[in-house]
Amino acid sequence: VYRLTLIGRYLVKRRITHFAMLAVALCVFTVVVVMTVMTGLVGDIKEKNHAFTGDCVVGTESLVGFPYYEEFMARVEQTGIVQGVSPVIKSYATLTTESGDQQNVEILGLDPVRHSQATNFAQTLDFHGHDVEKAFEPSYDVNLPGCIVGIDKVLQRDNRGRYVHFSSPDQISVVLTCFPLNAKGALVGAGANPTAMKRFFYSDNSHSGLARVDNEYVYVPLEQARLLCMGGADKRITALHIKFRPGVREREGCRRIAELWQQFQTDKAAAPNHNLLNDVSVQDWRTYRRAVVAPVEQEQLMLSLMFVLVGITTVFIVFVVFYMIIHSKRKDIGVLKSVGASNTSVLSLFQGFAFSIGVIGSGMGVLLGWLFLTRVNQVEQWCYEHLGFQLWDRSIYVIGDIPNRVEPSVLAVIVSGAVLACMIGALVPSYLAVRLRPVETLHAGRM
Amino acid sequence: MLKLFLWLKYVRRRRIILLSVVAVALSVSLLIAVASLFTGFIAAFERSAVQAIGDIVIRAPEGIPFEKYPAFLAQLEHTGMIEAATASLSAEGLIHMRGNVRPVLIWGIDPAGQARVVGLKGSLICQGKRDGEPSFAVPDDPGGIGGFVGIGVLAKPDEQTDQYNQAEVCRDMVNQRATLTTVTMEIGADGRRTPRRSTISFHVADIVFTGVHQFDSSFVYIPIETLQKALYPRKAEAVATTINVLLKPGVSPEAAVERIRTLWEAFATKELNWGPMAIDLTAIRTAREMQKIYVAEFEKQRGILETTFSVISFSVVVLVFCIFHMMVKLKQQDIAIIKSCGAANSSVIGLFLGFGVSVGVAGAGLGTVLGYLITRNINQIEAWIRVLFGLKLWRSSVYMFDRIPNEVDWGSAAWFATLAMLAAAVGALVPALVAARTRPVEVLRHE
Repeated sequence: VYRLTLIGRYLVKRRITHFAMLAVALCVFTVVVVMTVMTGLVGDIKEKNHAFTGDCVVGTESLVGFPYYEEFMARVEQTGIVQGVSPVIKSYATLTTESGDQQNVEILGLDPVRHSQATNFAQTLDFHGHDVEKAFEPSYDVNLPGCIVGIDKVLQRDNRGRYVHFSSPDQISVVLTCFPLNAKGALVGAGANPTAMKRFFYSDNSHSGLARVDNEYVYVPLEQARLLCMGGADKRITALHIKFRPGVREREGCRRIAELWQQFQTDKAAAPNHNLLNDVSVQDWRTYRRAVVAPVEQEQLMLSLMFVLVGITTVFIVFVVFYMIIHSKRKDIGVLKSVGASNTSVLSLFQGFAFSIGVIGSGMGVLLGWLFLTRVNQVEQWCYEHLGFQLWDRSIYVIGDIPNRVEPSVLAVIVSGAVLACMIGALVPSYLAVRLRPVETLHAGRM
Repeated sequence: MLKLFLWLKYVRRRRIILLSVVAVALSVSLLIAVASLFTGFIAAFERSAVQAIGDIVIRAPEGIPFEKYPAFLAQLEHTGMIEAATASLSAEGLIHMRGNVRPVLIWGIDPAGQARVVGLKGSLICQGKRDGEPSFAVPDDPGGIGGFVGIGVLAKPDEQTDQYNQAEVCRDMVNQRATLTTVTMEIGADGRRTPRRSTISFHVADIVFTGVHQFDSSFVYIPIETLQKALYPRKAEAVATTINVLLKPGVSPEAAVERIRTLWEAFATKELNWGPMAIDLTAIRTAREMQKIYVAEFEKQRGILETTFSVISFSVVVLVFCIFHMMVKLKQQDIAIIKSCGAANSSVIGLFLGFGVSVGVAGAGLGTVLGYLITRNINQIEAWIRVLFGLKLWRSSVYMFDRIPNEVDWGSAAWFATLAMLAAAVGALVPALVAARTRPVEVLRHE
């Protein structure tokens, strides 16, 4: 009880401790705000990449693709662990608009129904979210060959990053030109022009929330993509996107698919073009999209490290404050020890005091941070309207609102870090307090 | 003299003072490193634009290429403001090489002219080391069509080091055959637009490595005449879509733009019979102006990061306050003796304030040296992190450049150092005032 009484008295009466709490609160406030925004952005990017990719991808980087995929799909579906499997052909094309503008794009040939079972494809569509089987049928003429384009190709964003949608797609056509490749990677057709070209009509747009995908992707029916990009008699694709049933762990599911693929490869060892199966890998969505996900995770890590570096100042402040308190409370310590308080008790007194400063300071910081975060989008809106300032220029970055959902796990790490910093800062002064001898501190000449 | 003596005594006896110096140094070094890295990145971004496109770019309106451009280039060079000017054609397309297809930006150029304006020669891996002007001549096919291909189009950098094996790429790829395809819209007699695809076969004459990911991974250069035949087969005269201008040293790009605009208006009216609308649609802009929107965004992000760290660095003020408060409390006898010997209040304030500023100067000096060392050696630090932790923090595919810009932003460094000194002075102010209010009679009475 005496420890609690002393801690309470020091907290109230020693004004210098308020500075330590202020410093802790300031650091915690800044870290909570920055890390909440950063974690929100990173989490959002991961979530969108996961939704876009599915849980697992069996694919090759080569645009030549791999054959016999239908047999493998049948085996995958027999396992009972998958909810959806979607074969896709991924390649590059030059898109030419009616006015003659050109742009290089990535084309993704897919079956919209199957792809919606393996990914969130249907949810990304503007006009065919509920009848995805008709996604490639332009509403103005269902007989025309349709294509779905990334939303940034057809719709404008306003200054808050919101798209201006229309009730139906405009009648727009684009021409896609590709190099069809045979199973050996050579151009199909030895004539003067080895390219394949086809006109498609805009049937829908897809908003995945991923900047490059929404700006550079054009989706066409799987069979059309095969005609444009693949030559030869065998049916080839470049990837299979897989979604596992609920309850199946990603790691376990990917392991099962990888085993299945190994067996399949062995079984096809004598089949024509079996060498194309050697380039195929089985990856979970994180590995498949690592080029996008890894850099943002690294940035988050770097920012965290910088905050740790800055947080060292807080440790110094706590150290100084405790050094002062212990220096001026030598008599208290002497009295405590002379009435029987053990070294452990004195140590725990000051560590408890440091813990209290950490808890109160970080509590204040968290509260301030939370208050700020709940209003951060309104603050940004006000700044934009009155000062023309935006945290991110929405015409450049594909970011909507500033993420402001406070994650309990992030909070727990920050608060624990702050409390730990306080206790580390108080460690040396506490040790000095333990080493004080009552006979010296209570000696009349020293009082 | 007395002040200096006391300062030295306090530093020697009270090592805790060194903590405040370390804290100031940490904050200053971190802020200098962050500001320098951002400033260096922005400068490299602007410089890369000038290196890639020259000081000024004249771009033809969509679908109306410049004719008789050699005459206009001659006029430009007569102005006396221009070091060199060159014309080019560009189109998006696909390249097929060794069984793989990549999207590329095809540039039709005159290599000698391009070398004078944008320093192309220095980026050519093989010809860059030789004397003479760069050329598209193919060693194994004299008279054949040659081209330069960005290194990233042909190879991937090492996963660990992010470096290309330039020698290997040169050995494997030079003289190899490649095929390009691009599409243009032709307007028929009935006014209907028909897409027309063209293919161009060439041999790789050299590999381009600029160190800028975007250029290295997507640019292919071929002779301007060859690309003109593919894009504008019916044009007998030389045509171009872009004119790149390099100004003489000391010439202001903004002033030169006005002069060029006047020259262009006269040329387009008299020589090309262009109407006012086509003349107005011709974009004449400086390289910096073209990058303005991105530079503004980068600068904003730098400001936000600097503000965040500055807020946390406010803890330094608290730390200095705590340490000086402690010193004043512990050194009351010193203060009382000084005052009893006749020192004025202002002298006592000067003693502690001067000491605070000295702490600021020492911390800022140490922080500046540390910030300088971190910034200048940032590439080595990044390499050590990769070796020690297997973490590759900087990739050209994410951050555009193959090396981290490591120029120290001395303007920001001076600003942060001044702020640090000011912060230390502010932190010492209140304790100094408290010291001045010390009454010798009360402090010395007991003794």
